[in-house]
Amino acid sequence: MASFNLFDAEEKLLEQAEALRGSLDGTSAVVRGGFDTLLDGYSRSVREQRRLVKVSDRLQAQLATVNQELGRRKAEAEEALASLKAAQESLVQSEKLASLGALVAGVAHEINTPIGIALSCASHLADATAGMRKMFEADDIGVEDFERFMATVTDTTRLILGNCDRAADLIRSFKQVAVDRTTSDRRHFDLGSYIRETLASLGPHLRQAGHAVSIDCPGGIVMNSFPGALSQVLGNFVMNSLVHGFGPGEIGHIVISVDQPDPTSVRIAYSDNGHGIPEENRGRIFDPFFTTKRGAGGSGLGLHIVYNLVVGQLGGTVAVEPRDGGGTCFIVTIPKAID
Amino acid sequence: MESLKIAATERSPEVDFDFKHGVLSLRGESYPEDASAVFGPIFEALERFLPTVGNREIRVDFDLTYFNSSSAKALMNMFQMLDNSAAGGARIVVSWFFAPDDDTMKEFGEDFSEDLEHVVFNLVAVESAA
Repeated sequence: MASFNLFDAEEKLLEQAEALRGSLDGTSAVVRGGFDTLLDGYSRSVREQRRLVKVSDRLQAQLATVNQELGRRKAEAEEALASLKAAQESLVQSEKLASLGALVAGVAHEINTPIGIALSCASHLADATAGMRKMFEADDIGVEDFERFMATVTDTTRLILGNCDRAADLIRSFKQVAVDRTTSDRRHFDLGSYIRETLASLGPHLRQAGHAVSIDCPGGIVMNSFPGALSQVLGNFVMNSLVHGFGPGEIGHIVISVDQPDPTSVRIAYSDNGHGIPEENRGRIFDPFFTTKRGAGGSGLGLHIVYNLVVGQLGGTVAVEPRDGGGTCFIVTIPKAID
Repeated sequence: MESLKIAATERSPEVDFDFKHGVLSLRGESYPEDASAVFGPIFEALERFLPTVGNREIRVDFDLTYFNSSSAKALMNMFQMLDNSAAGGARIVVSWFFAPDDDTMKEFGEDFSEDLEHVVFNLVAVESAA
């Protein structure tokens, strides 16, 4: 092994040829000259072969080094991509939470009014009752006093009951939306009612600015799908209209209309009459982090979440369509029942 | 004799043979798919030029940063031609340029010049122009 020589055979041949050259001394000059030329040529050829092997080895080694480097960079790039995807996923989650936060704020605002009325009625009733007790203990209740107290009791209890009913109604409708937002359970639900409940929970955002909402959905469409995802999608569309569609002080109109292109699917068209989306942006609005309001708090994730939910969980498609006379129109087409 | 000028491509070197002034140079990288297409015209020109040089002074510069095995064989053939002309009386100076940190190119120059007996061979380390 120690004496391995790549060109052993060639060297032996050269030795033999040198020896043969010695025994040619007696022959003609032509033969000797011809033999010398052949020997020189062969010897040169072997030397060139050695150099070429070296060139080739060097080139292969360089190639291997480059390949290793390439592999290392590829692994690095893949790792960076994976961590970017994780970061994106976590941003998407926090955006979802933020929109849940907005929902909760809306709920709080909406319930505050009836609870506030009930509270001041109850407080007024308590005052009136305390006054009545004082007069009773002094044995000094006149008929007029009693009639006035009865009128107060009737009015305040009517207001308390009515406002508590209203609060209970509101809580009932919010509860389902909130539960659906935080769980990802599939269940049966009536599409029209669910859209109305979702829009009711977003009501404060809309009503504060004076925007009008019309919902046009045929009755009796029963879905077997993920209501939380649908609610999130509609919520993000509404936020998109509020942030991008309508300028401050502008009063807009949002229309949600539903039809059934075929018996197994529903098409929800969400449109507003706001500023619309410029054509050059239309191809990018569903891309993560695409926003025209980076400086003004836009995360660029709202419509990306819409896209993910519609295409992923809801198993459908979402598209933005140009709309005559401005405004924005999103078309969501999803199966009524998900397997 | 007309000069031979061929622009470099991505895989072949720049050829600038100024036969009138006796200055020949090959510059760049050489790993063509078809070596004969690149070196054919070069050898054809040398075969016509070298028999006419007599005892003129000829300068040949090789400034290559990368070449494949076929190109290496072609270079050795070229060196052999130049050495034969030098044996016939031409004063031929061959310069082999390499970047100071490129040991491979330096060693190739040393190896390729082993058989040269008649040309003057210089190994020249130069910082790359870039």
